[in-house]
Amino acid sequence: MRRRLVLTAAISALTLALTGCTGGGTDSGGGKGGQVEFLTGTAVDSPLYGQYQDLVKKFEADHSGVKVNLVPSSTDHEGDLKVRLASGNIPDIWMTHGWSLLRYGKFLMPLQNEPWAKDLAPALKPAMLGQGGELYAMPVDTDIAGLLYNADVLAEAGVKPDDIKTWDDFNRAAAAIKAKGKTPIYAAGKDQWPTGLFVDWIAPGVFSEAELKSMKEGTFAEGSYTKVLDTVGAFREAGLFNKDYSSATTDNVARALAEGKTGFSFLMNFVATSAFEYKKDARIGFMPVPTANGGEPYLISGEKNALGINKDTKHPKEAKELLAFLAQPENLTKLAKASGSAPGLTSAQSDLGGLQSSYDTYVKSGAVPTVPYFDRVYMPNGAWDTMVKTTDGVVTKQSTVADSVAKVKTDFTKLYAQAK
Amino acid sequence: MVDSGIDTAVRRSADATYRPTAGPRHRPRQGLVNVLYLPALALLAMFTAYPLVNGVGLSFTDWDGYSPGHHLVGLENYQRLLSDGTFRTVFVNTLVYALGSTVLQQVLGLGLALALDRPMRGRALLRAIIYLPVLVSPVIMGTIYYLLLQYDNGALNDIVVALGGEQQAWLSTTTGSVAIIVAVNTIQFVGLSMIIYLAGLQSIPTMYYEAARLDGASGWSLFRRITVPLLQPAFATSIVLNLIGGMKLFDVIKVLTGGGPGYSTNSVSTFIGLTYFNAQSAGYAAAMGVALFAVIMIMTLVLNAALNKRRLEA
Amino acid sequence: MLIGHRLFRLASVGFLLTFAVIQLVPFYVALTTALKPKSDLSSQWMPPTGRLYLDNFRIAIEQGGILRAIVNSLVVTSVATVLVCLIGALAAYPLARRGTWVNRVVMLLMLGSIMVPPLSVLVPLYSLMNQLGGVNTYWGIILILVTGQLPLSVFLYAAFIRTVPTALEEAARVDGAGTFRVFFRIVLPLLKPVTATVAILTGVFIWNDYQMSVYMLTTQDVRTIAPAIGSFFSQQSSNLGAAAAASLTAMAPILLAYLFLQRHFIKGMLAGAEK
Repeated sequence: MRRRLVLTAAISALTLALTGCTGGGTDSGGGKGGQVEFLTGTAVDSPLYGQYQDLVKKFEADHSGVKVNLVPSSTDHEGDLKVRLASGNIPDIWMTHGWSLLRYGKFLMPLQNEPWAKDLAPALKPAMLGQGGELYAMPVDTDIAGLLYNADVLAEAGVKPDDIKTWDDFNRAAAAIKAKGKTPIYAAGKDQWPTGLFVDWIAPGVFSEAELKSMKEGTFAEGSYTKVLDTVGAFREAGLFNKDYSSATTDNVARALAEGKTGFSFLMNFVATSAFEYKKDARIGFMPVPTANGGEPYLISGEKNALGINKDTKHPKEAKELLAFLAQPENLTKLAKASGSAPGLTSAQSDLGGLQSSYDTYVKSGAVPTVPYFDRVYMPNGAWDTMVKTTDGVVTKQSTVADSVAKVKTDFTKLYAQAK
Repeated sequence: MVDSGIDTAVRRSADATYRPTAGPRHRPRQGLVNVLYLPALALLAMFTAYPLVNGVGLSFTDWDGYSPGHHLVGLENYQRLLSDGTFRTVFVNTLVYALGSTVLQQVLGLGLALALDRPMRGRALLRAIIYLPVLVSPVIMGTIYYLLLQYDNGALNDIVVALGGEQQAWLSTTTGSVAIIVAVNTIQFVGLSMIIYLAGLQSIPTMYYEAARLDGASGWSLFRRITVPLLQPAFATSIVLNLIGGMKLFDVIKVLTGGGPGYSTNSVSTFIGLTYFNAQSAGYAAAMGVALFAVIMIMTLVLNAALNKRRLEA
Repeated sequence: MLIGHRLFRLASVGFLLTFAVIQLVPFYVALTTALKPKSDLSSQWMPPTGRLYLDNFRIAIEQGGILRAIVNSLVVTSVATVLVCLIGALAAYPLARRGTWVNRVVMLLMLGSIMVPPLSVLVPLYSLMNQLGGVNTYWGIILILVTGQLPLSVFLYAAFIRTVPTALEEAARVDGAGTFRVFFRIVLPLLKPVTATVAILTGVFIWNDYQMSVYMLTTQDVRTIAPAIGSFFSQQSSNLGAAAAASLTAMAPILLAYLFLQRHFIKGMLAGAEK
């Protein structure tokens, strides 16, 4: 009995000691004090994160006394960020994943007067600049995207990317790919968000200028949205999607592209970057998106890795200095290269690795117009999830095009009123 | 026939778990003794009750989950809940996950325990192997199973193809996905039930079996008349644990199907997450949390009342 | 009769072996994934060929900080588990011994709170922790995980205490012992077997927690295993090989603990069954 008592006492003492000492330990080494917290939104082993680490180390060496706390992404950057914003424990700098203006603008410091701001890549202007020219983030890269394709698969089916100008051309090409036993379109239904990109990709070629303007003013263009989802519905009817659509991830798409199992993907270029990791010499490119009515094919562009500063940060000077340091041409060149995209500022060089030739052909030459992400400019904040889920409904046949459009319309109207 | 003396002993010990001990005979000094649960209550009040009450407040608003400020919308979220077909689906899914894996785990767990209860070579190793997955985080286990089951390059499809079959998209139908989620959860945690039943089996004195055998009982009747009643405490522990695990299932669903196709394999937990973060409807998500808590409270009350009744009858 | 018996045994051994194989497959696949570079596109069943490839383990340790995460998990789990046992046992004693209506209500609320989905309290909880200064600290996550496991601990302790005869406690009281003395001298020592159960169960849950830890712990010096492994996955990239290597590395300590404690695992589970 006595021995047990001693044991109990010892355990309690140990507990106290441990809680005591760990409490002390974290206080001294803690993450608050004079540190600039930077939520990178990138995986801990990604090239971009590695590049951030290198540059931050240099920055700290030049600015004695400034410490930068780099935080890699968890699986859910957006969730992490929202919890932080909701609770008032807001990081000093964070990656805005396409939403610096619409969603996070009210939390962010205006940066249009920073020295680097004049070099903002033209393709980013429609989505990143507010009505009065406000800019809320420093864009590391520009996400320029079109239809990703595997050149070998297309060649095998006798399809030339440059011949695809309309969705009819695309459907014919897809049928030829299917006839060769390959998957025409590999889509990632499990990841929730990629399915919404079908609308972002198709809509700009369907909506008229007048309709786009009226969307911005709160009038939903039902007919054109229906056409967009009809196009997606036709893909499904023709059996163009991968069999495992609803359980596939972007990583599966990357590997399918690398292994030449699919012809096309409606995804951003980071998928190609992943694909090159699977197969270094995979022949992957991107091409302009076809249109519905024979208009000019286009590329989509928008903000991807852009960095905003908390407007109430305790370290405004340090945070601005850090962004300015990262924005220096040689640094931004490195960062954009690591992310596999074109830089977000015109002062830096682009190195897209395997995608460079597509970039040179379509972007650098200026031959192809770019349009912004449809949802970020023409849909109200909060409508993205509805876009994803309603399009997913069409692909999985869980909802009809008419029902999906009706749902989008309801949410559009509601969210537009809320945003007012 | 089994000797009635053993029968009584069996019954008595089976009832032991439920025996009320708060007779008027032995009341510890009043008041003082309740002080002992204050630390627990304080923690629960602070880190469970307070956020929960806060959630009740949020459930009457249209908060988007991150912006400062929101509007009161009264009972709108609860009305929406009643007419939301998707919420009904995910609620049913939650019950399927909870009950499905609980039943499967009891059957398999007891089967494994019985098979591993008798002395045999390699017994300790087998037990360790079957228990192994319990030690791994469900989010990791789920990810590995996702790799095994994926369409292209999945280990399972590699076997199917090697045997001359056709690649299957295992996680692309609702029914199939729900079944797979239940199966993965079951396989991961069956070791827990097994260990609990093994412990239960080993606590049954062999003399009961010997005495019963002298009376000519064997095989099935031994199992039914001695093993099952004496395992009652083990049943209770194992079932409660599995029910909790099943009702709270989250990580496995996230990594296996992400809730798809559509919303059709979400549980209430994962659906709350989607509504909160993706759909930016934190108020509505809060209402779901409150509703789930209320339903579970009622279920607990009913169960408890049933147990109390049993106690009175005993 | 005899043939039937042998067939039954054979079937049961077959069942066991099949099951064991099924349980080992995920670990085998994790191992082959961890030992191959991303550019190795061979089947998951194929063992790696050629020179031993350990880069994934290097990435897991150097970039993923998995060793530090293991230390963090050990600290959080050991302290939290001790607290869950101690506070749970304290609370269960009056709840099991005194069936007043107040205590019944308290018990019910505790049991009900077992099933509160963590996500529905996440934001208020995070805000509270932020105000208390507990984000990214050991004590913050420990308090949250202890609270999360307390109801289960109380439930198991209470069930056990109900089976313990009260004679000893009464005798002690007659001798003039107060509540605390009775609890610490008489009751607590009797709870040893169920304490093993509670510690094993809640310890594993705490060790494996992802949902709460991923939000509360974001810096490498406090981050535990599950969120550390999560940091290999982002929207733009995922490194399965490194994640698998990290998972396997992180399993080593708990596997060792299990092998050493295996006998207690089963003995401890006797809990409710012991008289």
